[in-house]
Amino acid sequence: MDFALDDDQQMIVDTIRRFADRDLRGWAADADRAGAPPDRLAHVAGELGFFTDAVPADAGGQLEAAYSHATRALRGFELGRGCPGLAALLETNVEPALAVGRWGSPAAKASLFASLTAGGLAALAHDSRGTLSVDADGAGGARLTGPLGPLPALAIASHVLLAKDGVLYLLDLAGVARIAVAPSSWRAARWATAELTAHAVAADHVVSRDPAAVAEVLAWARASLAARAAGVATAAMEHAERYAAERVQFGQPIGRFESLIRLRDDALTGAAAARLMALHAAWALDTHHPSAHDAASRARVLAGDVVTRATIDAVQIFGGYGFVNDYPVEKLMRDARPFEALHGDERLGRVLAQKAVI
Amino acid sequence: MDLFHDSPLLTGVRQMLGGFAQHQIRPIAIQHDQEESMPWELMRTAQKLGLSQTAVLDGRKKLTGVAEDPDPTKPKSQGRLAVIGSEELAFGCAGICLALGGSGLAASPVARMGTEEQKAEFKRLLAGDDEKGHIKVAAMALSEPATGSDISGLTTTATRDGEHWIIRGSKQWITNGQSAAVYVVWAQTEPAAGRAGVRGFLVARGTPGLVPGRKETKLGIRASETAQVHFEDVRVHKDMMLGSPAVPGEASGGLADTKKMLDSTRPVVAAQGVGIARAAYEFLLDRVRGGSLHGTPMASHQHIMFELADMQMEITAARLLTHRAAWLADHHQENVAEASMAKAYAAKVAQAVTTRAMVLLGEEALAPGHPVDKWYRDAKIYDIFEGTGQIQRRILSRQLTGMNPT
Repeated sequence: MDFALDDDQQMIVDTIRRFADRDLRGWAADADRAGAPPDRLAHVAGELGFFTDAVPADAGGQLEAAYSHATRALRGFELGRGCPGLAALLETNVEPALAVGRWGSPAAKASLFASLTAGGLAALAHDSRGTLSVDADGAGGARLTGPLGPLPALAIASHVLLAKDGVLYLLDLAGVARIAVAPSSWRAARWATAELTAHAVAADHVVSRDPAAVAEVLAWARASLAARAAGVATAAMEHAERYAAERVQFGQPIGRFESLIRLRDDALTGAAAARLMALHAAWALDTHHPSAHDAASRARVLAGDVVTRATIDAVQIFGGYGFVNDYPVEKLMRDARPFEALHGDERLGRVLAQKAVI
Repeated sequence: MDLFHDSPLLTGVRQMLGGFAQHQIRPIAIQHDQEESMPWELMRTAQKLGLSQTAVLDGRKKLTGVAEDPDPTKPKSQGRLAVIGSEELAFGCAGICLALGGSGLAASPVARMGTEEQKAEFKRLLAGDDEKGHIKVAAMALSEPATGSDISGLTTTATRDGEHWIIRGSKQWITNGQSAAVYVVWAQTEPAAGRAGVRGFLVARGTPGLVPGRKETKLGIRASETAQVHFEDVRVHKDMMLGSPAVPGEASGGLADTKKMLDSTRPVVAAQGVGIARAAYEFLLDRVRGGSLHGTPMASHQHIMFELADMQMEITAARLLTHRAAWLADHHQENVAEASMAKAYAAKVAQAVTTRAMVLLGEEALAPGHPVDKWYRDAKIYDIFEGTGQIQRRILSRQLTGMNPT
């Protein structure tokens, strides 16, 4: 067992850390206020290989060999340290591109990859609450009706990869009206909702009818969310640690109070554990280990708990300053929510799945 | 000890303010949260119910129509009325509850330490409407940029100049800080005297040198205005120093009295935390009743129902702690530890319940304007203001051993 990074991984971590510290953190507050990413994001991130890293090279992307979820988890942790809302945009294309690349028809690949290589975005949706209805169109395709979202990137996405009842659908959103919304979390992530009315998905855009494929896609997303959540938790405590070293109350820096040391230490312990679980899940996905899906789910459960607790406690360490938007932890506490909420309540999913087999 | 039912007055106030919260506060709560705006019209309406900006000075008569028994040895009901009312209002919206009661923070020290002339002046300054046509509000200006939990470290100074005091300094996180018609500002009058030198002053809006500062953008309680306030050589007549020594036998008006006053407000703040938790719990309960999950009743799932059972237990426990602290105050018994327990525990419960509600609701709660998202953001301040959770535990620790642990 080797926990060390290889040279390529270390270079990626160093590069993304510089990007996160310099650019993402620098842009985060303004992007949050504006409810939109900075114009430079696409250019700068594109040069770093985001958006098309999961698109096969022969389709104009950068993926020349097997996709590495471990590398994605390493990078996700750093992105989470930078800005979770912008990170959501940077990571949004991965699941649709990988799924369509692996299981999609030539028509689905052509449609999605043409958009992504031209600078388009795609989003992953999981109808975990069963709010969408599906009618077969008699030709192997389907018509979808019901609400979609709120989802990050949906406001500007050209496609959505929808996971529903064991089936993966690739939705072409051309002509679908989106309502841009601004939740309190990941405000820069171009959220939207859409109301589908007998939205047609042709047979060649039904990416997979294999429930194992759906489970695999959701496991990719869970491992990625867990890694980013660990990064957010770590960032919250990095900010809190700096503040606690400077803020003096009762004649000493508040960072010397044992109760606050415990808050910080417990959060960092949790963040370290969540990062390792995310990396383990990513390794399991890369190696097709039988435990991969379970590992990704467990990683997300832990990371969700950790990021919630850490960001709440970071605000606590900042006190009144944590509750106002002068410092980044107020935003991070808001930004912690989607890590537990997106794609449904992870614990509930685990409980129901286990109950079904007992 | 009957905490709840020894007076039909308490039940009546609960019903009245509960209805007000449900029908008047809830419908506008999300709008004011999103706009970060004060509910000025509702504040005017609330005055008709007795929720005036000077309610603390007016006693319970305005709210209930019944005056307290003037016999100081008889139990009062002010404390319990306050916690019952606060829970109901915060159940509607914590930010609006604070907007309705924000002036009470300033009125409390005036009621406790002020001379009759100062009380009359405070009420005079709050009479009528301001230049924007809003009802007038008051602000308690205690915290400073460098002084949050440690209120003994105030750096705002008041220097005597003949018949006046000259106040200089900046205040932070001041409720109603931009809009107040009158400020109760705390300043150090004798640096060598330490805490004993800190005194409160009434300062009217428009006094030269009083500069309302930037309004804060906050995580929650966004219907309540929070701002910085600057005092740039503000000249205040000596009669406006609370608890003037010219009045023999009156309270000293110093920081010690301020701390006692905070003891009295902690159960009220705790009750607001209970109200937020109850709001999230009842929202979930309503969703679960009749709701289904993959074809089965939501109520048939332990995963959901045991969470609700835990929430019910925790909310009940927090409410009992809160009412005990208020009951002790009403019965003229010391409640320092009980008030801190109530404040710390209610804050913890408010955060825990709203956090778990967010998880159980999943993506639904991410939607803009979702009430549970708002309650989750509102809850956090209850572990910070009016003494952080750490300060409450420090108070309790000191009660246990006499030492201040660090």
